[in-house]
Amino acid sequence: MSNEYVIEMLHIRKEFPGIVANDDVTLQLRRGEIHALLGENGAGKSTLMSVLFGLYQAEEGIIKKDGQEVRIKDPNDATALGIGMVHQHFKLVDVFTVLENIILGAEDTKFGFLQKAQARKKVEELSEKYGLHVDLDAKVENISVGMQQRTEILKMLYRDNDILIFDEPTAVLTPQEIDELMQIMRGFAKEGKSILFITHKLNEIMAVADRCTVLRKGRCIGTVNIRDTNKQELSNMMVGRPVQLEVHKEPAQPGEVILDVQGLTVPSKLHKSDAVKNVSFQARAGEILCIAGIDGNGQTELVYSLTGLEKASAGKITLCGKDISKLSVHARSHAGMSHIPEDRHKHGLVLDDTLENNIVLQRFQEDRFQHMGFIRRSAVREYANSIIEQYDVRSGQGPVTVTRSMSGGNQQKAIVGRELDRDNPLLIAVQPTRGLDVGAIEYIHQQIVAQRDAGKAVLLVSLELDEVMNVSDRILVMYEGQIVGELDPKATTVQELGLYMAGAKRM
Amino acid sequence: MKNTLLDLYHKDGTKKLLASLISILMGLLLGAVLIVIVGLSKPTIGNKDIIKGVQMIFAGILTKGLTPDGGLAWGYNAQNLGNMLFRATPIIMTGLSVAVAYKTGLFNIGAPGQYLMGTMASLSIALGIPGDSMPSWVIWLLAFLGGCLAGALWGAIPGMLKAFLNINEVLACIMANWIAAYLVSWYFSESSFRNVTEGTKTAYIYMTSYNGVATSKMGLDKLFPGSQVNGGFLVAVLIAVAMYILLNKTTLGYQLKACGSNRHAARYAGINDKRNIVLSMAIAGALAAGGASLYWLSGNTEFYWNTYQSLPGEGFDGISVALLASSNPIGAVFTGVFLSMLKVVGSQLAGFTAYNEYITDVIIGCIVYFSAFSLMIRMLLTSRKKKVPQAAAADQAGPVPAPDPSGDPVENEQEQEGGDEA
Repeated sequence: MSNEYVIEMLHIRKEFPGIVANDDVTLQLRRGEIHALLGENGAGKSTLMSVLFGLYQAEEGIIKKDGQEVRIKDPNDATALGIGMVHQHFKLVDVFTVLENIILGAEDTKFGFLQKAQARKKVEELSEKYGLHVDLDAKVENISVGMQQRTEILKMLYRDNDILIFDEPTAVLTPQEIDELMQIMRGFAKEGKSILFITHKLNEIMAVADRCTVLRKGRCIGTVNIRDTNKQELSNMMVGRPVQLEVHKEPAQPGEVILDVQGLTVPSKLHKSDAVKNVSFQARAGEILCIAGIDGNGQTELVYSLTGLEKASAGKITLCGKDISKLSVHARSHAGMSHIPEDRHKHGLVLDDTLENNIVLQRFQEDRFQHMGFIRRSAVREYANSIIEQYDVRSGQGPVTVTRSMSGGNQQKAIVGRELDRDNPLLIAVQPTRGLDVGAIEYIHQQIVAQRDAGKAVLLVSLELDEVMNVSDRILVMYEGQIVGELDPKATTVQELGLYMAGAKRM
Repeated sequence: MKNTLLDLYHKDGTKKLLASLISILMGLLLGAVLIVIVGLSKPTIGNKDIIKGVQMIFAGILTKGLTPDGGLAWGYNAQNLGNMLFRATPIIMTGLSVAVAYKTGLFNIGAPGQYLMGTMASLSIALGIPGDSMPSWVIWLLAFLGGCLAGALWGAIPGMLKAFLNINEVLACIMANWIAAYLVSWYFSESSFRNVTEGTKTAYIYMTSYNGVATSKMGLDKLFPGSQVNGGFLVAVLIAVAMYILLNKTTLGYQLKACGSNRHAARYAGINDKRNIVLSMAIAGALAAGGASLYWLSGNTEFYWNTYQSLPGEGFDGISVALLASSNPIGAVFTGVFLSMLKVVGSQLAGFTAYNEYITDVIIGCIVYFSAFSLMIRMLLTSRKKKVPQAAAADQAGPVPAPDPSGDPVENEQEQEGGDEA
């Protein structure tokens, strides 16, 4: 009977300097179940899984496999126990082919030569059996994110793992790919494999999981049967208070034109044609204008050219009546533009610098923060503290925390706080809730609506259909670098929006 | 009291410092072992010399000579200490050059080339302006600044290649080094600065004192009589302090560091990343070249220009100095002095024992290797501390007693390389 659970993690405690990441966490995984691990960013989900996978050692607590206590000192031990993990950020070698990546580290050799034919056969069988379609001879750098993920999954299967950990697997996938992945996961469970599914997306848990363990601030809040619960209860458990899953806002009252874009064309860095083709639109004060579309249809380039990070080849951009087409990033920013960037690690933060230095990233040259070229440290600290307090940015050491050590949600809150506090008439928010949990999403959506209500123009670029439908006042759909539709979220459906996004319909 | 000590121990800076000191000590120990092995394997080196060698590895700077019975005489050796500071001056500067570039995300392996360009410009100005046309201190200043400027321009070239064409600065610097080497040789061979008055010395350039230009002693000759030391050392220390302030207290330093650690984020924030990369390299170049100026303007050094086959060691020593100091400008003063101490000891060693001085180069190499371990040592120190204060730290996940507010941990108070000899 001791074998009811294939993996048990009992009373795990893991500390990092200044923070307890896991405190007395217990997680029991049954054979053949899909077990969701739910929690906000920084709740300790990834830490717990890293302990199971041997990347970290727990200070207290034990891990049992089939009722036997085991010690997992490194990922090799984990693999030997049949534990496999698909990391949130894939661990693939870009210049290797899919097949080479799958067998990497578990290669069969004969007299020192690779035996690829055998490996290929095994991988092909696996891929057939579970419907994991990959092109074995394609190089990883050339394949889609979805296929990269399938490669990672095949890697686990190739090693005969029967305990599969998926760390936020859907964050990077399109809706269709998510559906496929759910199918695959169900298939695994039927086969008797056990799945740990780390996520904060409630829809997915409701759709696919059998049970769910909820973590909050490093503590285990409880394990529930999905059949006996609902989204609201789960989100309340996760956040610790009732959460609004819907965005509440009054109808928009658009005012004067803040941003006027005419005939904007931006060359692509990836291919010969233009990434943005002759795009024109206006954003007004007091409205949230959303640019929707499937990733890679020119949204990124559009934003880069609006903010000055990339040069447009043609077109005119007017902000508050001023032509900013030829201005630098700095000048545009001062002309009245706040920008929550798409990639908070690449553009948003200097990760190895402190929180306070990141909070004044654009403003350190203002007189209040410097005197004759010397930084006024106390003014910076004071300002950083006010942002931290106002926007509830949590970190280990306050203003002097190195931002790399902060959770994604708090990093994003810091950026949002920094951008909103600059109080500019235009806010460009690109994927502002990407990778965030419900609590943080709710908060950021509220902030965006508050900006609108304060008479700012908000340009929201989003790939998430829920966000597009719930937050925006007006939707522009981008497809292959062009605006192919203008929709009113109240008068349209997700299906119709989807048709525009897929290029099947144009206005 | 105990608590303040504990707090000090838990500071990041303290741990960095301890780690540096431990790696130095381990390097010295390995050096001692090497001395013993070499001594035992060479019949010309007796047991007595081995013991002397080991003693000198740790405290050679304090030897005064040999006692009548062949042992070492200990005591304050003003000449040695003065020469130590004198020879530390250029490597502190090249160390600063590498350190400042590294803090801003660039690896300046071009210090030797910048050093040579500084040499060329400084010597040309110091010898080219007639000594009676203006006060000699003005010539000195012009020569020093001219040297720095030449280095800045030379450093800016790889900087521009990096900023505008995205060419790796390491490659560009390595090539610039050799271009500088041959350029300088060619320039001096065509110049009128070759020492033709002393028959055997045409491969050398005149000392600047020939034109009446020499760095002021600033009283250091009173402290260290009989040595070559001069005010250049104090200038280097001042510059180190200035670099510390630049990096940690100014908006310019903030920009440079931001560009260095994330160029994309800097661009996003409206910081001119290209300008800052060029500027970083120019500052680094000026520092390395300034080191050359301080060395050659001393008035008692002669530059050997003839057929350059190798790059000046001072340039590469800068890498060791910066690495040992974990790129802290103040730390570079101490590590520069420390490395130059080992060099002085090296020549002592050759004088007092049957060893040759190259063994100290081996030891310096060992220490630099160990300094790469200093990160590991720091981690060991960190995991050791965990046991006691964690419970306290865990409860206050909020504002934990923060490291030094001024940004980078300060590690200037207690660093004394001399300390580990005693």
